[in-house]
Amino acid sequence: MPATEVPAHHAGTMSRAPTEGDEKVGETTSVVGPKGIFDRSTKGRVLEPITVQVERGRIQFFAQVLQLTDPIHFEVNAAREQGYPDLVAPPSFFTVLDQAANEARGRRGQPSAAALVNVDFRYLLHGDEAYEYLNPIFAGDEVTLTTSILDFYDKKGGAMEFVTLASELRHAERGVLVCATRNLLHRLP
Amino acid sequence: MTPVSLAAAKPGDMLPEIQFGPITRGVLALYAGASGDHNLIHIDIDMAKASGMPDVFAHGMLSFGVLARVPTEWAGAERLRSFSARFVAMTQVHDLITCRGEITEVFDTEGARDARIALTATTQDGRTTLTGEAIVRVG
Repeated sequence: MPATEVPAHHAGTMSRAPTEGDEKVGETTSVVGPKGIFDRSTKGRVLEPITVQVERGRIQFFAQVLQLTDPIHFEVNAAREQGYPDLVAPPSFFTVLDQAANEARGRRGQPSAAALVNVDFRYLLHGDEAYEYLNPIFAGDEVTLTTSILDFYDKKGGAMEFVTLASELRHAERGVLVCATRNLLHRLP
Repeated sequence: MTPVSLAAAKPGDMLPEIQFGPITRGVLALYAGASGDHNLIHIDIDMAKASGMPDVFAHGMLSFGVLARVPTEWAGAERLRSFSARFVAMTQVHDLITCRGEITEVFDTEGARDARIALTATTQDGRTTLTGEAIVRVG
């Protein structure tokens, strides 16, 4: 099985949240031990919900790069002929809205989930991503994203450390549109 | 593509496969812009090398988005109930990706019928880069 599979019994058991004393230990010793980069004290944090717009142009550009062919992603008339109010977002469009939410947070001086857990992009890999679709996302929607930092865990004797993030994308009238879960990891240097 | 083939879906059926690539640096730049994932390790070779990588490599979510086309081009986007994938290996520049789906189960749920689809993305030399699963409403 892939190295990124999540063994539930490992979750949260192989390391403890860092304390102030840990930093000193990490700096003064080179013996094998916890050398994680993630800030595990953020476990359980829920980021402030953030509202973003679903733009037609973003749907079209994203669908074009992925070489989707269904006109419901490109032509408003085609989408309306199928009974949709506007362009339909592709299945992985959640990631676009997540990034848009991060940019909006940045403009407000709020940290992204990646910043909160102290992601180091030089060593970051993506373990897995899962979406549950409850309602479609349409161009013109205003959607609110709420992200939680669920857990941290280690694998390969601490050579890789993981964080589990869960997000809910909600529309004011249509309720929850997408539930997303992802595991990110550091391939530790 | 038709409701008939959805209704006839049974375990062992293969969905039409999708090829994507070969992946170019240009596609990685476009995906960075389209997705908003501006992590420079995928588009700036200097940043990739500074991280100990020999070259830029593809966003996992690029292959993820292409893999999701297998169930949706078969059944239509509105029938997709869930989609997930594990990033098993990196996708390199010049890789040609083939995405495949096989129906593994058809089951009754909530007064309807769903199909479970096992998905893989593999490269031209047989490396598996993603394994995934989709649930599609077929009836």
